[in-house]
Amino acid sequence: MRTAIFRVSLLVLCCAAGGSLLAQEGHPLKGSWIGTWGPSKAHSNDIILTLNWDGKVITGMINPGTDNMEVKSASLNPDGWLVHLEADGKNAATGQAVHYVIDGKIDNLAFRNRTVTGTWKGGAESGAFKIQRQ
Amino acid sequence: MSIRSSRLALALVGVLVAAAPTLIAHHAIAAKFDESKAVTLSGIVTDIDWKNPHVHILINVKTGNDVINWAIELESPIALQQSGWPSDTVQVGDTLTVQGIAARNGSKQAWARSVVMSKTGRQILMVRNTMPPAPLQPRPTPRGADGKPRLGAAPGGVLGYWAYPSSTVLVEKNASIGMDASGLLKNVADADKVAPMQPWALALYKERQRRFLQDDPTYLNCKPPGGPRQFQQPEGVQFVEDPVRQRMFLLLGGGNSNYRILWMDGRGHKGQVGGDDDNPLYYGRAVAQWEGDTLVVDTRGFNEDFWFTNGGLPHTEQLRLVERFTRSDFDTLRYEVQIEDLGAYTRPWSTGWTMRWVADQELPKHFCQDNRP
Repeated sequence: MRTAIFRVSLLVLCCAAGGSLLAQEGHPLKGSWIGTWGPSKAHSNDIILTLNWDGKVITGMINPGTDNMEVKSASLNPDGWLVHLEADGKNAATGQAVHYVIDGKIDNLAFRNRTVTGTWKGGAESGAFKIQRQ
Repeated sequence: MSIRSSRLALALVGVLVAAAPTLIAHHAIAAKFDESKAVTLSGIVTDIDWKNPHVHILINVKTGNDVINWAIELESPIALQQSGWPSDTVQVGDTLTVQGIAARNGSKQAWARSVVMSKTGRQILMVRNTMPPAPLQPRPTPRGADGKPRLGAAPGGVLGYWAYPSSTVLVEKNASIGMDASGLLKNVADADKVAPMQPWALALYKERQRRFLQDDPTYLNCKPPGGPRQFQQPEGVQFVEDPVRQRMFLLLGGGNSNYRILWMDGRGHKGQVGGDDDNPLYYGRAVAQWEGDTLVVDTRGFNEDFWFTNGGLPHTEQLRLVERFTRSDFDTLRYEVQIEDLGAYTRPWSTGWTMRWVADQELPKHFCQDNRP
């Protein structure tokens, strides 16, 4: 039990330190985001999103390295911190092309582990999502 | 330890860790206290917390039939000790009268502007922060054997450092905006006059202002005050010249007592140890050269993990600073900076201020400490 307590404590402290080390005070969308989207028959509920800002354009990748989809267009409206993303992927079951439209809102803007929550649509499917900046 | 109590302890650690980012820990004064909430409190000291980054004295204040315990916040132990106030200046049981400003969140906390010991009527625990008097006649700029101005110690080894910046906020040259010393705007509607920000940067800056700068990572997480901010810290900076290795050290009294190396050996921005595209830095990578009597420093490679101004202006990894240091006379250092960051701003912009020479002294010590109020 004592070992378990030590491990859990270490994990908690590492998480706390990690949050501090990975603070990001620049463009609010830049960075790696992890969360869930669903429900969906065609996709896992887990989602990883990497976003970058070059001063003019937001670029990024959804689920890099697995069923990766390049972000085709992205915008951030500072009036309400509204996020809009579009990407093209394939339906894992049918192989048909699917155009995804994702709309959300940044919450807890001031925090390094801020979140984006919203909805997504892809073909006939749709659902809600929530991602948190790592 | 029982399993139940172990779980409770773990849960408490978890709660504290989760809550840490939202707590008002080490902070700018304006982040925690409201200038418009003046208070006068008289009471008996119940406890003294003489620790970094801020000393706290707890006093019981009688209000009607109630006794309320107030936390009176003061400067750091080191600043108080340097001003002649040791930790035993106040004892439990002493009666104090405090004038100050109360916490924004309504809690029973106040920032002390004046503390008077009732039994003596003497004002105590105030920090002396007086700029050295200017000489009647400006003294000439000290120069080395090469004829170049010395930014650090004068020939003969006279110690000193630069402090007392004429401005502690970063605002585009010639802009006139109401702002306090910590960079808090008097009117958030003036935000777009501060610098030519992109829309997202302007909105983020306004958000930081509306939250009274309480998210400043320099205070909250002891992140270094990189960029121009390092020259606006109360603890000052010190140049240490190393002509043999063609470099200059820039020591910081504030932040975490960090230092920069200004390379003067003609190198470019590639190939320097410490800091590249994959490992950007809080103070960037600096190369420097003399242009006449002005040291011009070109710095790039900043990370985005800190605020580079006291007021919370955003920046990105595209930030490039061109800093110009001119020791116009023995006691005056002119600092000018051009800010290039097309990730956050619509065009390059510039500003500047002066600093005063503090002779015969080493840099003051400052210690930041995470998550202590």
